[in-house]
Parts: sequence; structure tokens; C-alpha cells
Amino acid sequence: MKNPVDDRLDALRGSAKRLDYNARSLAALENNPRCTLRALLDASGSDKAAIATHVGHPPSFGQSSFAITRGNAFEAMVKDNGCAELLRVLRETLELTLPEVGYEDLNDVGGDGRSKQRHERTEEVLLRAARGEGDATLFDHPMLRLLIGGHKVYLEPDLVALRIDGRFHVVEIKSFPIIDDQADSTQVRAATTQACAYIIALRDLLGRAGIGEEAVSDTIVLVAPKDFTNRPTGAFVDARKQVAALTRQLSRIERIGDLVDLLPEDLTFDLDPTPDKNKQPRRPAEELAEALDQVLVTYRPDCLNHCEMAFYCRSRARAEASLDVLGPTVREQFGGIDTTTMVMGLARGELTPSEDQVEIAAALRHAARLRAELEDLGGAA
Amino acid sequence: MSTLSALAHVQAMETMQAVPRTEFRHRHLSGRPLVIVPLAMAGEAGAPLAAMVGSAKRNGTLLVVAQPRNRDQRFAFAADLGRIVMNYINSFRQNRRGEGERSRYTDAPQILVPNAGGVKALADLGRMCRFRATSGPYAVPDVVPEFGMWLTFLVDRAEQAGTSTLLPVTAMLTEHWATGQSTLEDQNLASLMAWIAPPPGLSVEQAMADAENPDVCPPAGPPTSPEFDNRDLAPAIRRFDTAHTLGDPHALAAAETELRELIAGQIQPTWRMVWQAISLLRSVPEAPRTAKRFEGDCKAFTKYSDYRDSDGPPQRKRDNAIGAARRLGWLEHALAEFESDMAFDDRFVLADRRSAGEAFAGTVVEADPGRVVTTDKNRRVPRPRVTVRTEDPVRLAADTKLISPSLPTGHKAMIVSVLSDGGTTRVTVEITGGMGRSRVPQQGTVPELGQRIAYLPDPGWRPAPQFPASDATPWTHSAADDSGTDSVIPEDAAAEEWGNED
Repeated sequence: MKNPVDDRLDALRGSAKRLDYNARSLAALENNPRCTLRALLDASGSDKAAIATHVGHPPSFGQSSFAITRGNAFEAMVKDNGCAELLRVLRETLELTLPEVGYEDLNDVGGDGRSKQRHERTEEVLLRAARGEGDATLFDHPMLRLLIGGHKVYLEPDLVALRIDGRFHVVEIKSFPIIDDQADSTQVRAATTQACAYIIALRDLLGRAGIGEEAVSDTIVLVAPKDFTNRPTGAFVDARKQVAALTRQLSRIERIGDLVDLLPEDLTFDLDPTPDKNKQPRRPAEELAEALDQVLVTYRPDCLNHCEMAFYCRSRARAEASLDVLGPTVREQFGGIDTTTMVMGLARGELTPSEDQVEIAAALRHAARLRAELEDLGGAA
Repeated sequence: MSTLSALAHVQAMETMQAVPRTEFRHRHLSGRPLVIVPLAMAGEAGAPLAAMVGSAKRNGTLLVVAQPRNRDQRFAFAADLGRIVMNYINSFRQNRRGEGERSRYTDAPQILVPNAGGVKALADLGRMCRFRATSGPYAVPDVVPEFGMWLTFLVDRAEQAGTSTLLPVTAMLTEHWATGQSTLEDQNLASLMAWIAPPPGLSVEQAMADAENPDVCPPAGPPTSPEFDNRDLAPAIRRFDTAHTLGDPHALAAAETELRELIAGQIQPTWRMVWQAISLLRSVPEAPRTAKRFEGDCKAFTKYSDYRDSDGPPQRKRDNAIGAARRLGWLEHALAEFESDMAFDDRFVLADRRSAGEAFAGTVVEADPGRVVTTDKNRRVPRPRVTVRTEDPVRLAADTKLISPSLPTGHKAMIVSVLSDGGTTRVTVEITGGMGRSRVPQQGTVPELGQRIAYLPDPGWRPAPQFPASDATPWTHSAADDSGTDSVIPEDAAAEEWGNED
């Protein structure tokens, strides 16, 4: 049964097919949780890339085929011969005692690759393992499921391992290198956040059968190439904080209704695509832009790295002369002021500061005097 | 960031042009820098794709790895690049001045890369090369490990504030100019140049839009744009591989030429832009104390050069506890010195510190120039006191040691009190040094009533921190049980395998 919030979300998306959350878009939740536009577009399953392109700000982050090929080749290599390389890493590098090993391939169910069937099979296998039945300890590509805002989302970790301290561990296989025991922190963070979604989904699966969440460890096993070689090495990554953060973000999605209630009745991000397979948007771009403009955005320069809407939001921030354009380090200097017009107005003494702006206004006028002094004396060109 | 710096960014955004934030260039700029523009293959660690290298805009050498996943080609590339870089470095190992301990080279090399990613690429290349063996299995040419060790030296030195031997051009530009965009966008050389010097006939807005369009301004690397990878590079590498497998020399030559042309198209715009940035930076006058810091570069260069001449082992993979602590202390000290030097030389930087309350300037409103005190050793010494009235938001506490760019060098003072007085602040300081040796201070060494003076904190001299000898390191800080980090040369150095090449 649909609730009114779902109806509103469907109306926001319009006639396009619903796009579900995936591990990546869930991970992105953590990057800018306060952005209303992003929350609405994701919750309604709208196609952000198509929307951004139609309003004239196409996203620019494609993925290089080299990176994809490399990622797949590395994962295949690690899992070759019943995960021989992986076991070597677990035993030698991470010094784990894994007495017996049983490998369970969950990539398909007797040739059936549909998510639902695979999920059912995963559920059955993992529950049996959790109860100590069967001898499987490594589960290749299990299909997990999470209910987000009432929608089923299927998630597929690279691998889940059991019997590391008697608990399930999510194993992430990544192709960025660990050089001299150090890996790029941004990439580790992204991998961890992605793994958090798996941890939550895995706990959910076991929880439905009455198994407590301690059965799933919140430490993930990261497997990545060692130095400049193709040989894998491993590391434990503590994901406790990020699991908590993602759990919090997920509970916010449940309250998307609060945001929806603030929107005008007839608001929609519908592209009105042609019914043929070209799916040409028929809605005038200006009209779509107007619709987007009615929703609050929290733009941060960092968004350029992960949100499809970022170029649109940046152009909007620029048009509004918003300090968001300059990023948090500059912004923090002007607590409580939003625009460059306001900063310059206060600095020149043309605007009267409000009560809580008195302090910053004094600092600004001081800085402006210093600046004027420098320029009067003939500053650098 | 100070309010003044933040204001400069806002001003830039409002006027749509870059705003100067310093009067001088605080980095030494060699008359003959070596520019390296490194490109790497996406998704692969230390897989160089190409590099353009040279010490003049007109004679850049383009080096290309046709199949970056091939280990032999990788090291052939490292050797080619290594020869060029080593020739350049060796050309500075000629003229020495001074005797014995103080003997040092009179000039030092300077390598410039487009952005911070370029430094990282050289760090990876250095790590990849410096442990290679020149004999036995997987042997590499002699120049490869030597090149690797020098790269590591340069990268390590680049971490120290104020040095000039390896620098990203974007960092030099942002030190001097504030733009109306974020730090993230400033890391894109083309976007940064769009603000400082947009191409003729283009507005800053147009130049910014072009800077983010990979078809107009290919990224400055190290990674190439995904569109280019998928559309042009991947098919070209495939054609090269096919020709290689078939052993067809004509097809191979054609495929190599095609690859070179494709990559040249991606790398040359950045090459030209780096040189344009260099000439822009040359037009900014060099700060007086830069020469003193460059002396430090020459000293470090000489020291490492002599170490290489004595065939010392490569830098270890990771510092041990004492090495790391010593290095951290050193880096902190260098940063404090550099910041103080800049503020001392440059009234823009001084103003910046003033706006943050870390320095102050004002008028002397009270003076007790004849004040004399008796020291513990029963000597009578001049200790004049003056009170400065300033409108700066002073955040310095009593007992802070000060230096002043407005008085003769050697002038030292200490804060006695900081009192707020309506909209202004009265800072009383006691002058403790720089007055000459006699009992009466020399003329001009004590500020007079009505004089405008500026003060900033003295970074001071710090004693070298004492650490236990390496064999006396407590077990909490030793890595004796971890053979991987303890030995200087990893045992798998020669056999670091590359695995599948496809």
C-alpha cells in the first residue's frame, strides 16, 4: 500500500523509471547529508545526471575504462582457484587462523542471476552458516537487501567471510594500492563507507531471523594490491563510526516526508521524456530549472567530486553570490553571513550589522582598512 | 585563514579577477628550472603513461609508455626520464664554494610540476625505482635506482615549508594570488590561470568554463580525462598491443606514432601553461629573505649529493620512531620560520597576520627610553619600555617574544601587557635586544614617541630535540618485530612482481 509521501515522491520523479539507491549513492549520503535537493532527488529515484544535463550542467565524472578493467581483473585474480590469494592474505598478512575453508559462489542460482532469487539463496545460505550448519566460510558476491524509504535496494558486496573470530566480516576488494602499508585516505574512506551499507544490510538479514548484530563485525577487511605489484595484501579497517553515521542518515531518509511537506503542491522534476526509446526530454529546460530553484541546496565545492547536480548547484551559488562558492575555509571566517554582497557591504561600512554581526563587521572593517592601506601604497600588480 | 585572506577571496569573486595577497614571491625561482608534466594511467598505481620534461619552453621532451601495464616498458620509461633528470641534477654538481664542512654547491636544481598530484606521481615513481637492483633477475639500468633516490630526496624536501627544489606551480600561484573560487578548483591549473591571466579575448567566466572542459583544456594530470581514456587512448593502446603481438614493424611504428600524437595533444597545453605560469611568477619580485632559504636548499642538495657520492643506501620505506619525531620537529620549525620570514619581508603577509591578531602595528604613545634594570649577574642593562596603541585585534599574550620589521635587524622585545582601551588596544613592550653593546641604546634602536611600528612573534631558536639512541628506543616505539619496516632495503626489492601484464 502506498502512503501519501510515496505518492509525492513519485510525482517529483514524474514519468521516468525509478532509480534505486545503490552502495555508491548510499555512500554519497554521508558526503553532504544536509542537502535537501539531493535528498529529494535520491529518495524519489530521479535521474540526477539526466536532470543536470537537461538544465545545461552535465556532470563530468566518467570512469576510465582502464580503472574498471583493472578493478575487475584484480578482483578476479584475488578470487581465482577458490580464493587462493585471498586466503594467503588472510592467513599470512592478517595472521588469521582459518582452519577449514568452504567457498560458496552466490553469483547466480543455477544460472539465474535475478536479484530476488539470488537474495533468497543468500539468505538461506548465510542463515545456515550463522547457525553453524554447513561448512561454507567464504561467500562470493552474496546479494543483500535493504529497505530504504520503503523501497527494496539490492546490494552486492565483493565477499563476506565467516569465522574470523567467529563473526561475519565484509571483505572489500579494491584495486588502489597499499604502498608501504599506507593507502590513499580518501579512497579508503570511500571503500569503508561503501562497506558500511553491506554491514547494515547483513545485520538486517540476520536480524530478521533473530540473530543479534554482534554476529557481523564492524571491522572490514580491505584487500588491495601491495605496493606496485599485482599481488594482494590486506588490512583491517575500523568502520564503527561510519556504520553509525550511515545508520543515522538512513533513518533520516525515513523522515523524508518532513521535507516533502515543505514543497509546493505541484512541484515536479519530470523530464517528460518521449515514449520511444530515445527518451528525449520534452519539458522546457527553463521550466525544469525553475522547479529545481524552488528547493534548497547546500552546495560545497566538494560536491563536484561526487554529485551529479554539482555544476548546477555551483552556478546557482554563483548567481546568488553565495559564499558557498569559496568553500568552507573561507565561509567559516564569516559566520552568519551568506553572500559576498553582504561581506563587502559590511566591510565598506555601507550596511548596518545586525546584533549578531557586530563582531564580524568590526573584523571586516579592520581587514578592509588594512587592504586599503596596502593598495594605497601601491600594491603588487 | 585570516579575515583579510578570506576578504581577498570575496573581493576576487566580486570583481571577477584574482587579487594579489603578497607583495613578493617568497619562493626562489631558478633561472633554469626543470619542468616535468607527468601523466599516469587511471586505476593503476605507479603506472606512468607519459611525461613531458625540459628546462625551456621550446625544448620539451615527450616520453610515452605505449603499454603502461608492461613492466619492462615502465622501467625503460623510468630510465629515459631518469637520464634527463640526472643530467639536469648533475649539471648543478659542478661549482662549490667554501672549505671543509662549509663547502657547498653554489646553485641547486629546481623541479616544477603542474600541481600537487604531480608531486605525488614523482613520489610514487621514486618509491618504485629506488630499491630496484641493477643486476640479477628483473635488473634495471643503473640510472633507475639513482633516479629513484633523488626523486625521494626531492619529494621529502618538498614537504618542508619554504623550500624550492620541488614545487607544484599551482601552490606558487595560490601563494601570491587569491581567486574567487574554492581551494579544490584552485588545484586545477587551468582554472587557476583563468583567474590570474585568462587567454586574450576571453573573460574570466569563459576561461573558467573552458578550463573544466577536457576537450578544450585537457586536465593537467596525473590522470588523463576519462573521456579521452575511453574514446582515444584505450583503442590506440589496443592497436599497439595487436601490432606488438603480430610482430608487424610497420603497424607497430604507426601505432606508436598515433599514441605519441594523442598524448602530445593532451600534455602540450599543460606544458605551455606551466611555462606561462612561470613567466608570470618571474614578474613578481622575489622577497629579500628568499635568498637565505635558498642557501638552505643548496646546503641540503650538497649534503645529499655527497651522500650519493659515498654510495649510501636508499631512503627507508618508512621512518622509524626517532626519525619520524625528528623530522616532524624539523618540519614544524621550518614552517614557523617561513611564516615569520614572509611576514617580516612582506607587508601584505604582515597585514594578514595582523588581521588574525597574530601581529600588530600602531603608534608609540608612551616611551620610557632610559629605563635600566639590574640583571641577576648584577649588570645594569638598558630595558626601555614603549606602549603602542593599535587598532588591530591583538591576540598575543604577555611574555610573547617579538621581532619587528620596522626597526633595525636584531631588535628584540617582549610583551609586558595588553590592555583594551575602547576601540583600540594598548600594548606595552620591553625592548630586550638589538640596542648595541653600550649601556645607552644606540641611536634609532628604540622606537620614539609618535613612531609607527609593527611587531610579530619571534619564531625563535629552538634547541634540537634529544632522542634516545636507536638501540635504546623503548619497546613501545620500536619496530623490531616488524621486519618489513625495519630493514632499509626490503628483502623482496628485486623480486617485486608485476604479475599479469594483460
